Amino acid sequence: MNGNTVLDIQGLSGGYSLNRPVLHDVSFQVNPGEMVGLIGLNGAGKSTTMKHILGLMTPQKGEIRVRGKKRDEDSETYHGSLAFVPESPLLYDDMTVREHLEFTARAYNVPRGDYEERADRLSRIFRMQDKMDSLSTQLSKGMRQKVMIMCAFVARPSLYIIDEPFLGLDPLGIRSLLDFMVELKEGGSSILLSSHILSTIENYCDRFVVLHQGSIIAQGTLEAIEAQAGTTGAGLEDMFYTLVQGRD
Amino acid sequence: MDLMKLRAERRSRFWGKEVLPYLGYVLQSGVAALMLFALIVFSAWYTSLVQHIPAGLPIRWIMLVLFVPLTVNSSFRTYLAPADTVFLLPQESRMKSYFQGSWTSGVVYKLLGLALIFLISWPIYVRSDGQPKPFWLFLLVLIALKLLASYGCWKELRMVSRRATFAYRVLRYVVLALCVAAWIWQPAGRSLIFIVLLAATYTAALRLPAKHPVAWERLIAQEKVHSGRVLMVLGWFVNVPGREQRVYARKWLSWAGNNIPWKPEAAYRYLLMKSFVRSDILGIVLRVGILAAFLAWWQRGSNVGIGIYWFFVFLAGIQLSSLLRFHSESFWLHVYPIAPGSRRRNAIKLAFQIQLTFAAVTWLPLLGAGLERMGTVLMALLGGIVLCLLSRFFASRKKTEDDEDDE
Repeated sequence: MNGNTVLDIQGLSGGYSLNRPVLHDVSFQVNPGEMVGLIGLNGAGKSTTMKHILGLMTPQKGEIRVRGKKRDEDSETYHGSLAFVPESPLLYDDMTVREHLEFTARAYNVPRGDYEERADRLSRIFRMQDKMDSLSTQLSKGMRQKVMIMCAFVARPSLYIIDEPFLGLDPLGIRSLLDFMVELKEGGSSILLSSHILSTIENYCDRFVVLHQGSIIAQGTLEAIEAQAGTTGAGLEDMFYTLVQGRD
Repeated sequence: MDLMKLRAERRSRFWGKEVLPYLGYVLQSGVAALMLFALIVFSAWYTSLVQHIPAGLPIRWIMLVLFVPLTVNSSFRTYLAPADTVFLLPQESRMKSYFQGSWTSGVVYKLLGLALIFLISWPIYVRSDGQPKPFWLFLLVLIALKLLASYGCWKELRMVSRRATFAYRVLRYVVLALCVAAWIWQPAGRSLIFIVLLAATYTAALRLPAKHPVAWERLIAQEKVHSGRVLMVLGWFVNVPGREQRVYARKWLSWAGNNIPWKPEAAYRYLLMKSFVRSDILGIVLRVGILAAFLAWWQRGSNVGIGIYWFFVFLAGIQLSSLLRFHSESFWLHVYPIAPGSRRRNAIKLAFQIQLTFAAVTWLPLLGAGLERMGTVLMALLGGIVLCLLSRFFASRKKTEDDEDDE
C-alpha cells in the first residue's frame, strides 16, 4: 500500500447475509489525483462495494481505509474525507437547492466564504442559477441529479464515490460533470466512478476495476485491461465483453 | 379487476397493518392517559361553563368559528400508490367504482364528527342565543353544507388547472362561511333561501373548469399527505417508521435557520429548522398557539386561564416531539460527517427552544389580568417554563432509551 493512498480496500468480503456474501476478496486502491472506473454487469457488486466504503454495510472480512483511517477508528474524519453521488437522487423534499448545498457545506465544515464561492460557480457550471431557491420537489430528475453532484462538489473532500452519475443528465450536464471531474482530479482529488457508459469513461479514467459476480476479474490501466482481456486495439466495451463472456 | 375490492383491500392493509399494530402502544403511553385526563378536565370545565354562562357570551361568533372549519374541511382517502399511474391507468374509465368507497368514507365519518361536535355545543348555544334555531333544522343545515363542501372538494381534486383548484378552494371557504354565518344570524326562512341560491350558484360554477377523468398525480400526492398525517399522529405516541410529511414552500420563512452557527455540530439543527418551517408541525403549533392565546385572554381573570395556558404549552410539547423523529431514516445522515450524538442533542435543543418561545408568547395574554394578579400570572409563566424543561427531560430520556441511530 502506498502511504498516500486515498482509498485502500484489502480482502473485502461482504454482503447482506453471512452465508451468501456478494463480494469475494475484493482488493484495490485509489491514489491521489486518480480517477478509477468501477465497472461490471448489473448485480456484479459495484453498489455493494460502494455501500461498504460509505459505511452503510460492514465487511464480513477485510478492511477499508480512507486516507489511512478505518471507519470505526474515527467515523467523523472517515466520512469527512469522502463524498457520494448516488445513482438515484436522494434529496430532502423540504429544502431548496441552495439549502442542500449549505447543509452539506456546514456538515463538511467548509468555510462560509468558500461555500458561497463554490455554490455560485457550481450553479453556473450546471446551469442551475434560476433554480437555487426552488424546493427539490419542483425539480426534474436531471436537475435533482445535478443537485446531488453539486452537493458532493461543494464539500471538496479527498475522495468522491460516484455511482452512475450520467443517468438523467442532459448532454451539456454530462460534459460539465466530466470537465469538472477532470478539474478536481488535476487538483489532487480522487474519484471512484461507476458507470455502464464505458465509451464515455474510457477516455477519462486512469484505471479500471472490473467486477464480475462479486470478484475482481481484471484491474489496471486501459492497456493492462487490454492485456488481461487478450484483445488488441479494442475499446473498453469490447474488452469488457470479452472478459465477462462465458464466465457465468 | 374488482376495483371496489382492491380499494377495500388497500384500506384494510393500511389500517390493519400500518396503524393497528401501534394502537396498543398509544394506549399504553402516558401521553394517551394525560390526554384522557385533559378530556375529563375539559368536560368538567365545560359543564361548569354551561351551568354558569357568562353574560354577553359571543355565542354566534363561537358557533361560526367552530362550524365553518368543520363544514368546509373535506378530504378523501383513495389509497392510491405511485405505481397506479401504470397499472390502474388502463382502468381509468372504471375508476368510479374504486372512488365510491373514498367518497362514502370521506363524508360519513366527517358527518359523524360534525354531529358529535354539534351535540356538544348545543347546550351552550341554546342557552346563550336569544333566538336559537331548532335543533334538527340546525343539524340538517350543517349536514347539507358539509355535503356541499365535500362535493366541491372532490370536484377541485379533478380540476386540470392548479390555479383553478386554488381559486375554487378559496370560493368553497367563502361560500360555506357565508352560508354558516347567514344561518346563525338571519331568520331561518330568509337564510335558507340565501343558502339554497348560493349553493345552486356554487354547484353551477363547479361545472365550469376543465377536469381530468382521474387526476392521478394529484390524488396520489393527496393520499401521501393523508397517510402521512395519520402516521404523524401515531408518531406523537410511538416511533413510527417511514412517515412522510407534507411540505409547504413558505417562502416567507426561508430565512429561518440561516443564523444557526456555521459549524458541523449545528449542521443537523440547520436541516431540522428548515424541515420544521416547511412541515405540518409548524402549522399545527401556530394554530394551537392562536387558540391558546385567545382562550388564555378570554379566561385571563381566573385560574382557568392558567390551566388552559399550561395545557396548551404541554400540547405544543407533544407536537414538537415529532421533531425528534424527523429524518430518522435519512440516508445522508449516515454518510455525512455528522458528529455522533449531535442529532439527538440538536433535535432536543430545537424542540425546547421552540416550546419555550411558544410558552412565552402564549403567556402574554394573561398579562391582561392586570397588576392585581401579577404574582399569579408570573407563577403561570414559571409553570410554563417548568413544563418546557420537563418536555426536554422526557425527550432526552426517551431518546437515550430507544434511539441509537446516531451513535
